[in-house]
Amino acid sequence: MSRDSIADLADEALLVLYANGDADAARLLAKRLVPRLLGYATRLLSDRAEAEDVAQEAMLRLWKMAPNWRQDEAKVSTWAYRVASNLCTDRLRARVRRRSDALDDVAEPADGAASAVAVMMQADRMAALDTALAALPQRQREAVVLRHIEGLSNPEIAEILQIGVEAVESLTARGKRALSAALSGQRAALGYEDAET
Amino acid sequence: MDDLDDLFARAKAAPVQPSDALMARVLADALREQPKAVVVRPVRGGLWAGLADVFGGGGVLAGMGSVAALGMLVGFVQPAALTSVSDLWAGDTLASVDMMPGIDALLAEE
Repeated sequence: MSRDSIADLADEALLVLYANGDADAARLLAKRLVPRLLGYATRLLSDRAEAEDVAQEAMLRLWKMAPNWRQDEAKVSTWAYRVASNLCTDRLRARVRRRSDALDDVAEPADGAASAVAVMMQADRMAALDTALAALPQRQREAVVLRHIEGLSNPEIAEILQIGVEAVESLTARGKRALSAALSGQRAALGYEDAET
Repeated sequence: MDDLDDLFARAKAAPVQPSDALMARVLADALREQPKAVVVRPVRGGLWAGLADVFGGGGVLAGMGSVAALGMLVGFVQPAALTSVSDLWAGDTLASVDMMPGIDALLAEE
């Protein structure tokens, strides 16, 4: 099958083609999914190198699972996000363990709000958002990123995080409130006050 | 907060771009893990091995062969009707019963 003719296929169909030996399907699937997984993992981990490892590992698990993929089970992207989410959780927990094991008597890192102030002094909106996101509790961060940056629906997020839709709504609402609070008072640094006046 | 929605929109509009090195690693994984085409191989071991596979194994084939040989033997020696024996229950007397009258001919040939 030519590359042009498979460009319009859904992820699930591409995965089946890959399992049947089509290398072009793998390239197209990687081109669609890797940027999304990388962006998601980067915002959860705040570490590009670790995020790349997570994206690669999530894709590797997808390749291995391809021969056993059940079409009616889930969307490929939802499945991949869920794997990436679990991998990020493992890495965040490992960080906490390392920190508590080795740095009991060392001062805690600067909290998110303080870091956000420093970043906003540079008027870097994206960095400010990422810093404020990093200060959120993990589940809120996951839900907010998936909903408002990755653009997924609440049922999809519920499937990825393996919680109910109402819990997703609660997490995103609390996350947005916390972000607003972290970023309020910095509107001038972000250049928003000028836009309103 | 409209400002927050604006930040989200900006973040969504500027997705994180994977490096060429990452894409190369992902594709290398994909090609390494890609299932190979199924190859149908001819049955090894010749006619008997193939026949044994068809019948479910060598043991099953040996059993079927034994039963077939026994069937041929019974057909050749032509056993006498069982009425010769069952008549004894009715009060008849019988000096001897030759259950396999053809067996003498078979043994004589050997």
